Amino acid sequence: MIAARELRKEYGEFVAVEGSSFSVAKGEVFGVIGPNGAGKTTTLKMLAGLLEPTSGTATVAGFDAQNTEMRSRLGFLPEESPLYEEMTALSYLQFFADLYDVPTAVAQERIHETLDELGLDHRERQIGDMSKGMKRKVAIARSLINDPEVLIYDEPASGLDPLTTNYIIDFTAQLAADGKTIIFSAHNLFHVESICDRVAIMHNGAIIANGDLDTLQEEYGTTRYRVYTTVEVPNSVQENGQYCRTVESMSAVERTREAAEQAGGVVTDIRTDESSLEDVFLNIAEAEAKQ
Amino acid sequence: MKPAKILRIARWELTKNAGGVDRRTLGVVAVAVVLLVAVAPVVAFSGVGLDDELYRVGISEESEFAPVVAEDNTFAVVDDATVQDLESGQIDLYLADTAVHRSDSEKGAAAYEEFRDSVATYNEQQLRQEPNHSAAFPVEVIVAFEEQTGSAVIVGAPDGEEPLPEQDQDDADDGQPADEQQEPSGDEEDEGQPAADEDTDTDEALTEETDEDLPADEADDGDPEAPEPSDGQELEEEDEQTGPLAEFLGPLSEDGLTGSPADITPPFPFQSLVLAFLFVIPLNFVIQAYGSTILSERINRRGELLLVTPVSRTDIIAGKTLPYFVGAMALQAVLAVGAVWLLRGELGGFISVLALTPLVLLFLGSTFLGAMFARSFKELTFVTVTITVSLTSYAFIPAIFSDIDPIALISPLTLVVRDLQNETIALSEFLFSAGPPTLVALVFFTLGAGLYREEDMFDQRSMSGKICDSLVGPITSKWHVGLVTVMLIPFVLVTQLVAVATFFALGELAIVLLFVVVAVTEELAKTFHIYAAYEHNRFERTAKSAVVLGTISGAAFFLIEIAILVFQLIGFTELEIGEALLLFSGVITGPTEVVLLLPPLALHVATAVIGAFGAFRSKRTYIVAVSLAMLVHLVYNLSVVMLFV
Repeated sequence: MIAARELRKEYGEFVAVEGSSFSVAKGEVFGVIGPNGAGKTTTLKMLAGLLEPTSGTATVAGFDAQNTEMRSRLGFLPEESPLYEEMTALSYLQFFADLYDVPTAVAQERIHETLDELGLDHRERQIGDMSKGMKRKVAIARSLINDPEVLIYDEPASGLDPLTTNYIIDFTAQLAADGKTIIFSAHNLFHVESICDRVAIMHNGAIIANGDLDTLQEEYGTTRYRVYTTVEVPNSVQENGQYCRTVESMSAVERTREAAEQAGGVVTDIRTDESSLEDVFLNIAEAEAKQ
Repeated sequence: MKPAKILRIARWELTKNAGGVDRRTLGVVAVAVVLLVAVAPVVAFSGVGLDDELYRVGISEESEFAPVVAEDNTFAVVDDATVQDLESGQIDLYLADTAVHRSDSEKGAAAYEEFRDSVATYNEQQLRQEPNHSAAFPVEVIVAFEEQTGSAVIVGAPDGEEPLPEQDQDDADDGQPADEQQEPSGDEEDEGQPAADEDTDTDEALTEETDEDLPADEADDGDPEAPEPSDGQELEEEDEQTGPLAEFLGPLSEDGLTGSPADITPPFPFQSLVLAFLFVIPLNFVIQAYGSTILSERINRRGELLLVTPVSRTDIIAGKTLPYFVGAMALQAVLAVGAVWLLRGELGGFISVLALTPLVLLFLGSTFLGAMFARSFKELTFVTVTITVSLTSYAFIPAIFSDIDPIALISPLTLVVRDLQNETIALSEFLFSAGPPTLVALVFFTLGAGLYREEDMFDQRSMSGKICDSLVGPITSKWHVGLVTVMLIPFVLVTQLVAVATFFALGELAIVLLFVVVAVTEELAKTFHIYAAYEHNRFERTAKSAVVLGTISGAAFFLIEIAILVFQLIGFTELEIGEALLLFSGVITGPTEVVLLLPPLALHVATAVIGAFGAFRSKRTYIVAVSLAMLVHLVYNLSVVMLFV
């Protein structure tokens, strides 16, 4: 559904995106993560047809990203929600529905349905008078006004309170469940981890890792073992009346057990912790920084 | 382009702010508009009356001044007042039988001065009502305004002591005093009436009788030798002004005035001034709103979401521009039709509306481009003020002199003024006036549209950077350099025409100044986009590419020489400065001598290559190189003048 081939974007001497290639299958949720300035937004804007690549190609729903026809099949949500604040939510959404050639009756039904799902009640209120979260919901409703096959969401929950953030993340997950193809960027890696099928990690304009979460964890993550003992051993911390030592290998687990027995105690429990996406990201970023 | 989408965006542009105005505000605005419409005509025709009954006056029963006071609303008559009331301050003036007494105060002095003016005005009115003008005005001067032909305006006197215009000499030969010729005495008067008097009907005081008894067509019949108004410009014979405001504005064309010596004033084209003012000023309000709406799309990335809809940027721009264009045109149409009705008492003004279209487009086009360059509303203010001053000067000042010099035709407003004066406008004149601003407007819209994309709309580059961006936008191959050069030709043309209009009164110095403007504008137009293209890495920075791009640009620019040929078709070269402008093209001796076109072609190519050579290296070398190219261009032009003139 989405394919990027050697996408490159230059601004004069500065290279914002350097040869990015990836693809997203229909119905898949694809996350793009990376530090600020990594090239995430530039990549998403090239996919949305807003930016023309210096070289490389991007296709969305079978159309070149620069093709106007492609835009009818796309819902784009930029990081900021630049709305026309002097309009009401309803008139704003109807205006965009007209631009997408959505019949008025269909548009009205879709607008109210989406706003119901998003829990936005003040539809006749001017957008300028709405809270940030409400504005974001209007922006999301606008991205869905043409019932697009592909959604490109750039930081959809950026700057919102936890309640609204969770609402929007859940709503995005629901859209994915409904079969939309979603490409999604976020700084909050927990959100990405919770709804994305695959993830690309960008750094300095390049994709440095790309795959499903299991693969990334296997390749870049680490497994940690928490060894609980009845007596204190070196590097352990007291936790609920026991002592816990975190190690990164089975041999270290064995050494911990021997140390506990020498001190007259025993190992009561061993737990395994898999790396989170955040750990993976930090590991990769750290490795990149060292290079 | 998709008309439905354009109209939808236009409708949105009109209505998007509707939600921000509540019904109460709308009601207040509506009431204000109704009041304004109701009050405006009253104010226009009777004045605001701020000084009505300002001075209190006592009058004796026998006073001869009673009619003067009755005619002037400035004075309020205090009944049964006596001269003693001056001391108590109850009255400011006391009018005795033949004497005037005033109170010993500043107000009394002011009242006295006002009264003296009122007496003078009253006396003048009485004299003008005398059936025998010879008795009322023993000395009368006829001033005839002639089309400028390089000689001074001819001023003649009816006694034949001074040279008279040809038609007046005929009159003098008849032995009739001029004042008698103005008497309403039937056909005889037609023969003796100077043609210049045809338009004096609106000056009630001077030519009340001739207005009724001397129709313009009859006057022409009786005076076949009356001079033509100008080259190729024929006054409509039925040049009557019978509209409600005709008297207020004075004669449509100040071809001549008669009256007492006190009436002689410099031939200031008051009416042209008023008409030009009328049409230009509203446009400045329209562009404020238009510039704001374009810039507001760029603030906080508001316009970004429109760019991801299946609507082309051309449609977005057209949709956002349409309401302002239609609104401005409607306003101009109302003004044009209204002006025709007020001045001539008839419906008309179609040509005026047509002629105003390029002006409206030029205002909107330049504002659009300016709003795409500006990074903030503060900068937009600077941009719109610059546009207002430049375009108002371009349109307004030449139009004031629409009756005086053909150079006035560089402004489309001149067409409007002439149309309102019921003059015939030749097609070539129309094209000469309307063509360049239309093309410049299209160039501005094209360059602005090149910036109407995500990469350029929302960044904070400097204005010079944005100008570079806009010029580079269309350049994707070396041939596009020539295309951009051609696009800039109308802009160069208009700049040079404005320079002609600005400098034409300076004689030989004007020619030198004009050539400086020519060299600067043409060399920039040929090479600045080449520099911008190198800055955007469109081409390899090599000497070879500089030669190629310079040659393409120089050759493309040579097309301007063909455009200049058009000037000759409308007599532009009859002016000395117009002739000078054409000399460098080598076509002054005739377009058939093709060989003479080669030197200017070589000049343009050579100077463009010089500029391109500097452009491919750095900004500093470009400045040096283009300055050198300008110097070469200037020396060439001056050499041609010295050799052939």
